[in-house]
Amino acid sequence: MEGLGEISGSLALIGYGLGAIGPGIGVGLVAGNAVQAMARQPEAAGMVRTTMFIGMALAEALALFGFVLFFLAA
Amino acid sequence: MELILAAAECDPTEVIICVPGNVNELFELPFIGGVNRTMLLIALAAVIVIGILWFGLRKRSLVPSKFEAAVESLVLYMRDEVAVGIIGPKDGLTFFPYLLALFLFILVGNLFGLAPFINFPITSRIGIPAFLALVTWFIFVLMGFKRQGLAYVGHLLWPPGVPVALKPLVGIIEFVSTFFVRPFSLAVRLFANLVAGHVMLTLLLVSGYVFVTSVGDIGAKALVGVGWFALGLGIFALEMLVALLQAYIFTLLSAVYIQSSVHPEH
Repeated sequence: MEGLGEISGSLALIGYGLGAIGPGIGVGLVAGNAVQAMARQPEAAGMVRTTMFIGMALAEALALFGFVLFFLAA
Repeated sequence: MELILAAAECDPTEVIICVPGNVNELFELPFIGGVNRTMLLIALAAVIVIGILWFGLRKRSLVPSKFEAAVESLVLYMRDEVAVGIIGPKDGLTFFPYLLALFLFILVGNLFGLAPFINFPITSRIGIPAFLALVTWFIFVLMGFKRQGLAYVGHLLWPPGVPVALKPLVGIIEFVSTFFVRPFSLAVRLFANLVAGHVMLTLLLVSGYVFVTSVGDIGAKALVGVGWFALGLGIFALEMLVALLQAYIFTLLSAVYIQSSVHPEH
């Protein structure tokens, strides 16, 4: 583990970067599918938008945990 | 250069990330340890919210002024789309004042970060979002027990249709996600968005300032600062959107959580 010890200063930042990958993909999926749904059924746009925000907020939460843990660990 | 604050104190050759010395400030709790800027701004935010609602809805004139019309449409949106639309016609009206106050307080608190001479979003101190999330948590847990009694825990831990073999696992996951992750993510989402936005804004605008003012030392390279400024102004506009969106999401998720306790069938 000597190699890891040498870069200990930046581990939190790397961890946050790794943690942001999944939520990034998730938020993209949510937004993309919401756009598709709105394009197919414009009359349901209001409902889709509300649900999209909820879904985005839940997916985004993990990335934000990483952000806070970065502060705590750094 | 005084503007480079705490980051200058650490040695970049040793530590890769220079942690500002005052990072603990983010986790300070207001109302502990005397009067400070955060407390005064909380009071100011409360006064502004009350002022907006008071002056916006004071007189029921036939032809409302622009300000009154704006406040009215905001209040109606919160009532019809968020409170009644999510929680339901009867219970929605019960929780509508809470949701409206929550939305306006968070919005004003977020916009403090962009307001000239204040430049400090009070929601970027973990104490405030954490407290608001705890209030929402208490409301939805208490409403759950009030409406459903002890069956609330059962409904919560085992949604209908879960196979018997999976019940222990699902129960643990649902327990943690409802009672711990919900309030934590509610608070942290608001907090982290505001901190990240503010850090980014400060970084871009300050580096723009530093580059432009050091034109005598580095010559034409100082033009980089103009780019930073332009990017900073773009982020400024984005932060306005974020301030509105985060206040809306906090309110929306509070409504969704309350709804999940009030109407167990969904």
